Amino acid sequence: MITHLVRLMWNKRRANALILLEILLAFLVLFGVYAFGFYNLDRFSSPLGFSYENSVGLRLNLPEDMDSASTVSMQKRIRDEILLVSGVEQATFIGSINPFSGNMYFNGNDDNGYELRTQGFFADEHFAETMNLELREGRWFDETDVTSKYIPVLVNGALMDEFYPAANSLVDSILIIEGEKKIIGVVENFKYRSNFSENAPLTFFPTRSRDVTKYPFQMMIIRASSGRTAAIEEPIYNLVRDITKNTDVVIWNMADDRIKANKPVVVPLVVLTLISTFLLINIALGLFGVLFTQINRRRAEIGLRKAMGATPAQITTQFVLEVLLVATAALLLGVFFAVQVPILELTSIPAKFFYFGIVAAIITILLIVFLCASIPSRQAAGLQPADVLHED
Amino acid sequence: MIELKNISKSYRTDTIETLALQHMTMSVPSGEFLSIMGPSGCGKSTLLNIMGLIDEPTEGTMTLAGKEIAGYNGAQMARFRNEQLGFIFQSFHLINDLSVVDNVELPLLYRKVGGKERRRLALEALARVGLSNRAKHFPNQLSGGQKQRVAIARAIVGRPNIILADEPTGNLDSQMGDEIMEILLKLNSEIGTTIVMVTHDERMAKKTHRLVRLSDGERVS
Repeated sequence: MITHLVRLMWNKRRANALILLEILLAFLVLFGVYAFGFYNLDRFSSPLGFSYENSVGLRLNLPEDMDSASTVSMQKRIRDEILLVSGVEQATFIGSINPFSGNMYFNGNDDNGYELRTQGFFADEHFAETMNLELREGRWFDETDVTSKYIPVLVNGALMDEFYPAANSLVDSILIIEGEKKIIGVVENFKYRSNFSENAPLTFFPTRSRDVTKYPFQMMIIRASSGRTAAIEEPIYNLVRDITKNTDVVIWNMADDRIKANKPVVVPLVVLTLISTFLLINIALGLFGVLFTQINRRRAEIGLRKAMGATPAQITTQFVLEVLLVATAALLLGVFFAVQVPILELTSIPAKFFYFGIVAAIITILLIVFLCASIPSRQAAGLQPADVLHED
Repeated sequence: MIELKNISKSYRTDTIETLALQHMTMSVPSGEFLSIMGPSGCGKSTLLNIMGLIDEPTEGTMTLAGKEIAGYNGAQMARFRNEQLGFIFQSFHLINDLSVVDNVELPLLYRKVGGKERRRLALEALARVGLSNRAKHFPNQLSGGQKQRVAIARAIVGRPNIILADEPTGNLDSQMGDEIMEILLKLNSEIGTTIVMVTHDERMAKKTHRLVRLSDGERVS
């Protein structure tokens, strides 16, 4: 039967060219959407590595022309007094890059001269506790680092996995980024840019490693007890304004920031999903229309086949298989084009997501084609040869 | 071969009941070439459809090739049609998107005959109707007479016991009609296939063994 249908569909190839093209285009769009979707779903499902819930960010303006001792002293006073605000659980100073906003890159190398590129994040000794960071090994910055020979740094698991895949431990290794730094710990995950960002190699630098007169760290993250983020905003604002004698104090909710940071991926994903859905509906309606028309044109053939001994089930199967054959031809052509993307490494998205996309798009198209073909095919199977063979 | 007992067929709409066949009783012995004549609308095609199991009588019983048909379900009737019956239509009913040989193979397809064997039997049937050289052609490349010969090849490829021909020469000129009639007569005489043919052509009917005339759904001779 299949050989017979292949011959039949080959002979009708001109009539089927448009539906083949439509399925091909739908496959290519679906493939792209699925690959993009799977890739971002994978990223979304990988852990951020820190807690943002119940936390607020704070940007303040320290008075100018303070020396380093005065700056450190004022920062300590601000933090100490913030901790006294009812509902505040922890607070930390960070550099100019804060979670869900901005990025900073450094190029460096390890003590064997192996080059590496890493994101940089400046934070004080309270950051790990404030953000609930999970350490793979070692420890976070503490007071003892002030007197150590090397500036301490921590790296994230992604850096260790990418640049030191065979290493059991990185603690006490030397990293050369703007001078020699000693690794004192490895943070399991820290995907700070958004849920959809890459878990890329990252190095934590202590805020104390920089000259505070040049880089007066003026950003904080403050963690409140559950449900108290809104309640702490006003007292913290008043407190910081009074200490710094400056009204330019900005407080924001980190949960809102996360949503904003995710938007550049979520919005196109939703738009693409909507476009794909409309495309699929269009294809489904097109297939319905084409099949109903074909069945009307082929009533005599259906009657003839039934007169020759075809059962209703065989007629249904024939029409479903005919459409599936056209769909298969379109999908084979589509797969040929689609596999070029991972094979030629046209994007930085890992190849596996494109292969998942190909499989998912094939399944979706075949399912829609099967469903759309089933109803008209059953209608065809119900035609009575005595009626249709005498219509000519 | 074919036994009809008290066969009636009526078509009912909301307001009207039309009697297409009334209490038809007839017998067609094995190997007979029977022609059926009558004016348009007298029930000839309805009778042929009932004999061909593509229509059901409203009442009456029928025996085909020694088998009581009453109680057959759709699948059993499809199988019976496939194995025992061959059809020839006035308008040929060839599938234009299939080659001549693929058209001829059609009944064997539903008998699940293997591809090579199907092809062999189809070419053999085409040789019998003198169309071996047209096997790869498509129906729209053939004349009317050639199309009907393809239809005959398709009807005989499964070696059925009965061929039902509904005005097989109706769309052909007299010369082509004669050629087709010769082939049917040869099939009947050489292979012994039982043939029931509906025709409007008295000349063709006279060439068959027996003629049955219908009028208003009843047998008149």
